[in-house]
Amino acid sequence: MRRSVLLLWLLAPALLGTGCAAVKPWEREILARDDMAWDPDVLEAQRQAHVYFSKEASLAGGGAGGGGCGCN
Amino acid sequence: MRRFWLVVLATTLLAPAAAALEEGKPAPLFSVPLLDGNGTLSLADYRGKVVYLDFWASWCAPCLVSLPLLEELRREFPGDRFQILAVNVDRDSEKARRFLGERPVGYPSGADPEGRVPERFEIETMPTSFLLDGRGVIRHVHRGFRRGDVPDLREQIRRLLAQDAR
Repeated sequence: MRRSVLLLWLLAPALLGTGCAAVKPWEREILARDDMAWDPDVLEAQRQAHVYFSKEASLAGGGAGGGGCGCN
Repeated sequence: MRRFWLVVLATTLLAPAAAALEEGKPAPLFSVPLLDGNGTLSLADYRGKVVYLDFWASWCAPCLVSLPLLEELRREFPGDRFQILAVNVDRDSEKARRFLGERPVGYPSGADPEGRVPERFEIETMPTSFLLDGRGVIRHVHRGFRRGDVPDLREQIRRLLAQDAR
């Protein structure tokens, strides 16, 4: 009985995984819409990221950056 | 009991892995209705020609770039030896017809809203194109499309035409 429960626990992720469906490349019409993007305005997102890491680099925010002077 | 678990294991974990179509393999033959409704597009009809087979959709941004450039390529090579074929995978073919109305091309485009043909070609990204030799063998797989890809494609087509002429 204990072995069956253990096996069930081991196989549960595999069994649950079979319920997942992969979206094929030719089925991505809805995903390709502008309003499905993380950043609908790429240029604006880059500008905000630049300001953010320039201001926050001294506190190690936003990854690698300069000295927080806003000049990088 | 043990047999039951073996069956569960086999059906969940040992699903056959798809092997992507690659260079050297024969292209699967297919036949789909043309987007304009005038007949069908059959790959077998183009045996003997070098074929550039392009899978595209109206929602795919690189396709916007590729279609006019492919049209230019088509005009560079003799029509009796080189052919561009396209398979559109829009679920609503009307969108593809509108797209082509704005950017007309001189090569045929088939409609496959169910995605059966790209499934058989096991494409991994949009757009994907296959360069086939006169015997229908895949000689090059082109994934994605950028403006800068054209010189390389042109060279591949030229080389293949030279090989097929021998």
